[in-house]
Amino acid sequence: MLQVSKAQVPPATLLEIANLTKSFDGAKAVEDVSLHLREGIITTLVGPNGAGKTTLFNLITGHLRPTSGDIRWRGESIVGTAPWKIARLGVARTFQDLRLFSHMTVFENVLTVMEKSAWFWQAEAGSGAERRQRVHEILEITGLQHKVGVRADDLAYAERKFLSMARIMATRAKMWLLDEPASGLDPRSYERFVTLLRSEVRRGITICIIEHNLEIVVSISDRISFLDQGRLLADGEPEEILGNPELSSIYFGERNS
Amino acid sequence: MIAYLVNLATLVCINAVLAVTLNFIMGYAGIFSLAHAVFFGIGAYVAAFIALRWTDSLLLQLPAAMLIAGVISAALALPALRVRGDYFVAASLGFQVLAATVFSEWKSVTGGIGGLVGIPPASIAGHAFTDPLQFLGLAGVTLALVVVLTTAIVHSSFGRSLKAIRDSESAALAFGKNVALIKTLSVFYSTAICAVAGVLYADYLSFINVESFTIDASTLFMAMVIVGGIGTVWGPIVGAVLLTLLPAALTYLPFLPRTEIGSVQQMIYGLAMVMLMIFKPDGLMGAKQREA
Repeated sequence: MLQVSKAQVPPATLLEIANLTKSFDGAKAVEDVSLHLREGIITTLVGPNGAGKTTLFNLITGHLRPTSGDIRWRGESIVGTAPWKIARLGVARTFQDLRLFSHMTVFENVLTVMEKSAWFWQAEAGSGAERRQRVHEILEITGLQHKVGVRADDLAYAERKFLSMARIMATRAKMWLLDEPASGLDPRSYERFVTLLRSEVRRGITICIIEHNLEIVVSISDRISFLDQGRLLADGEPEEILGNPELSSIYFGERNS
Repeated sequence: MIAYLVNLATLVCINAVLAVTLNFIMGYAGIFSLAHAVFFGIGAYVAAFIALRWTDSLLLQLPAAMLIAGVISAALALPALRVRGDYFVAASLGFQVLAATVFSEWKSVTGGIGGLVGIPPASIAGHAFTDPLQFLGLAGVTLALVVVLTTAIVHSSFGRSLKAIRDSESAALAFGKNVALIKTLSVFYSTAICAVAGVLYADYLSFINVESFTIDASTLFMAMVIVGGIGTVWGPIVGAVLLTLLPAALTYLPFLPRTEIGSVQQMIYGLAMVMLMIFKPDGLMGAKQREA
């Protein structure tokens, strides 16, 4: 298990969510959630379907605008900032339905993520040769090195999942929001995935991950935040959360709704 | 006979420029515009306006036409930023109809329904392209430049960003792509080069009217792209060649009365499109069929 942050002083907050609420036509998908995502650790969001986990991601990345509350990145509010600007601040994400660039090759999928600028020169991203080198490194790590020229659409399921990870690795973002990246992976792919996550955290990446598989949750989480029906029910060390009988009864669906 | 072939080849080049530029936004930006003929028309009218009043110099007509078409392309870019797919097609159709009305009513500039006549041949640095063969050379060089430039853009970082937006706009945003800017630039490029074709067209025929810039023309350009193969380099050129030569070829069918050519043409277009969608949905130059 990752025990990066067992020190008494918790690591600094990278992203702070304060009293965040999002209503859709009166229905509250996220309700008064306050949460600190701390630097250099893996925070796992757990909770039944419809708990508001993905909505929370969409609010953070600017794909949705909160009804009320604030989101602060390194202390600065990012509410109302365009998604592409938030991405450039260093918040990257994956999607539950992947949203790969389906008609582009594996190589292009990763390369285009490194190319931020809308123009032809890429001032921040180093030389073209450096970028291509980096793409090959990433594809090696994600096990896609033999699929370089294959269209994303033509990949197998697990490969598509890893391409989604390869894309986020190419971002140089400080924080990754991962929406069920391991769901449906076979045991071997799953092991590769966990190894990958751990090495990225060691590199200093902060991760917030939505995950249903308890085995995975246990093996990767430094902190767990438990959401249900849009509200944050609990937030703490894994043992604390997973040992709580009330939470597990909600999680395993013994709720009357 | 030679003159006839030169004429056809020149029109093929002009149509190919139109198809290549339309393919750029259809195939790489996912913007299905039924208003491409509007920018073709703007290029033609601007060229004619300048040629009839001030100068036959291409070096002035081209930048003016490109700039004006590019600016007016905001009318296309703005809806493209808000709606996608079918809704955008409908929006562009509305724009096309509106523009055709302006072309036929704004008599002081466009000459109304009658159009503009006596447009002098284009010239570059005092050399007038009066010889049809020379004009063919001009059109051919233009087409070659447009193909090279467009292909280079498609294979550049900008082209990858465009394709990324086409495949998933929300993912492109999440990876830091300035979607609005990239889409606007792509529409600007497509329409500005489209206007170049318009300039050549006006200078070549020396007569233009609204007939060439209606929804029929826009549909024809879209057909060229789809028949040839959307999102490919050679597809739109093959499509332009086929659909430009088709009417000419039909005139050689001895059993066909000349008065019926128009409607037969329409039937053949329609039939070809349907057959193509059934047997080769990616177009003639499209990727080979994928396994299901």
